[in-house]
Amino acid sequence: MSVRPATLARPAPVAGRPFTLRRLLEREGFFSWLMLSPGVLFLLAFVAYPFFYGIFLSLQDRRVASTGVFVGLANFVTLAHDAVFWQVTRNTFFYVVVTTVFKLVGGLGMALVMNQSFRGRNLTRAFLLLPFIVPTALSTVAWMWILDPTFSVVNWLLVHAGVISSGYSFLGNATLAMWSLVVVNTWRGMPFYGITLLAGLQTISPELYEAAAIDGATTTQRFLYVTLPVIKPVLIIVTMFSVIFTFGDFQLIYALTHGGPANATHVFSTWAFDIGMSAGQLGMGAAVALAILPALAVLIVALTLYLRRE
Amino acid sequence: MSSRREFLAATLAATGAALAPRLAPAAPKAMTVVRESSFIKAFDDYFAKTLLPEYEKLTGIKMSYEAVSVGGMLTRLTTIVETKSGPEIAMTAVNWPNLFDASLVDLTDVATEIGKKIGPWHDNIHDAVVVNKKWKALPWGNIGQLEAYRTDWFKEVGVTKFPETWEDLLAAGRLLKKKGHPFGFELGHGFGDNHGWLYPLLWSYGGREVDKDGKTILLDSDETAKAVDFCRRFYKETMLEDVLGWTDVNNNKAYLGEQISCTNNASSILVVAKRDFPDIAKVTDHGLNPQGPKGRFHILNPVSHAIVSSAPDVAAAKAFLRWLYDDKQMSRWLTSGEAYYAPFLTAYDNHPMWNPEPRYLPYKESLKTSRLHGWPGPPSPAMSESVAKYVLVDMFAKACRGDSTKDVIATAAAQLKQIYKAK
Repeated sequence: MSVRPATLARPAPVAGRPFTLRRLLEREGFFSWLMLSPGVLFLLAFVAYPFFYGIFLSLQDRRVASTGVFVGLANFVTLAHDAVFWQVTRNTFFYVVVTTVFKLVGGLGMALVMNQSFRGRNLTRAFLLLPFIVPTALSTVAWMWILDPTFSVVNWLLVHAGVISSGYSFLGNATLAMWSLVVVNTWRGMPFYGITLLAGLQTISPELYEAAAIDGATTTQRFLYVTLPVIKPVLIIVTMFSVIFTFGDFQLIYALTHGGPANATHVFSTWAFDIGMSAGQLGMGAAVALAILPALAVLIVALTLYLRRE
Repeated sequence: MSSRREFLAATLAATGAALAPRLAPAAPKAMTVVRESSFIKAFDDYFAKTLLPEYEKLTGIKMSYEAVSVGGMLTRLTTIVETKSGPEIAMTAVNWPNLFDASLVDLTDVATEIGKKIGPWHDNIHDAVVVNKKWKALPWGNIGQLEAYRTDWFKEVGVTKFPETWEDLLAAGRLLKKKGHPFGFELGHGFGDNHGWLYPLLWSYGGREVDKDGKTILLDSDETAKAVDFCRRFYKETMLEDVLGWTDVNNNKAYLGEQISCTNNASSILVVAKRDFPDIAKVTDHGLNPQGPKGRFHILNPVSHAIVSSAPDVAAAKAFLRWLYDDKQMSRWLTSGEAYYAPFLTAYDNHPMWNPEPRYLPYKESLKTSRLHGWPGPPSPAMSESVAKYVLVDMFAKACRGDSTKDVIATAAAQLKQIYKAK
């Protein structure tokens, strides 16, 4: 026979006791829903509603300022036959995978360094957070200047060091443009990894390292068999968040290249915006935005299952 | 002593006056006009700080001005129309009245009145604002896209007058690039300075995207191939590689940074140069788009004003537009814009606004040969889609980066067939 914990037990109603707000608040079922309701309402209004409305739109031939006509999956079929859609898909996956790897490795390195004791550590930590704190639109303007072939400080240094004779066209060359975006995204996103992983590192008991050292473990072995297993859940969570954010990255790309040159840097979010807002094809734009969903869903489910198993 | 008739009239008048506020429709307390900021601060300021307060004083209606950043007006209009809330009067551009047809008020009566007073309207503006024989916006002016060039550097290579043909411009550009003064014509995903020269280039070689019926795709032709081949040479022999990734700010920055000697742009380069870079302004002039084998063309880039159908008081909004488009107001506002907007009213063809600076005159001249982006196709939603997807821009850009003429035309034609739902 199971015994209900005393804390969860609902007090028996006392006959004749008047109904009061205090008594209502003391009921855990009511109180927990009361506490949850602001968050739930927020999610319903700003996440669930736009999401389901997006699905609704994607199944319609819906132009701006006009009534939609239900077309089933026709928008997705049209996309499947559009060469630009597949180019956008390749661009998006390249952008997400490469930036995630860079941010993961760089962020982990940043966290390991920040976990050491050295003079000015707190100041360094504060500075490393700057790229994450500065509004994207503002930092993108700075990067526009850095990547400008004429005014670029990178080109200036390379030319004056005699490495190259004329500046690189960072945003005019298709390959360089994509790699430039990867660099900027990594620069902006790495502190998120760094600071989150640092929090994970600080939960590791020094005794574990001492025990490993007594057993004769090298630095690499200590990292592989002590550090990594302990911070793995944090690592997975932060990667999952980062992948979701990067899939939806818009401002940086829109401001720097607007998907150019010749669609070389268009990703789902920028292309969906162009189709939905500039061309007024709201149904098709929603379909492009939702095309990202299967990949994200698989990723989130896989990572969640992995975490639960762990 | 007053007669019975006088007494009766006075009584009726008094009763009428007492009832009038209750019977007549109440004037709105406030109205908002939303416009995209222009590059001409004096023009925006004149509207917000002079014209709107004047109207406010005249009618008692509180007038507000909402400025949208450059390139953001289409998004703002979409949200206004979709949410059916927000400003009553909105700026529109190019073919937007066609896109938003169902959500814009019929302004035929106002347009006809204005046309009679200070018109007639130029013929080519009808395509942009008249939808199913109804005027859905009142044309304000055209933001022309012409060639801004450095007269001093052109003179250095022996060119004293802006070249008349694309081939002559290429020849001049070759010499200028050798001298360290390349051209910079946008081939990236901006919103205006790319289409501003690439559509006219295509048309001037005889190429067309789609036929008048809006169904027959005409892009795959020898004429298009000639335009593409020319563009590749023009890019390789006269320009910087970076133009492939430029958006609309880049060419202005490069020109005013003295990095390029010629670009396609609105008159804003000269306006800004006169204000901030007087030495560059002295050696800057404008040229019409050069001619190709099949003529000379320019992009039609009209700015207009419309009333959204969700406006609570359409009559009041119309009254404001009638007042704004009266010569007394319109004339002053146009003048404040330093000829940035070329009006579509024939009575203004010789308006004093053109007198202070003859270097803006080509913008007026270009109106005659200006066409909307998908011309000769109809100004349909499909036209907007083609523009938003940069079909033509990317066709030329891919050729410039090295793809074959045949491939880039085939890809663009396939996209157009999908967009226009052509067989």
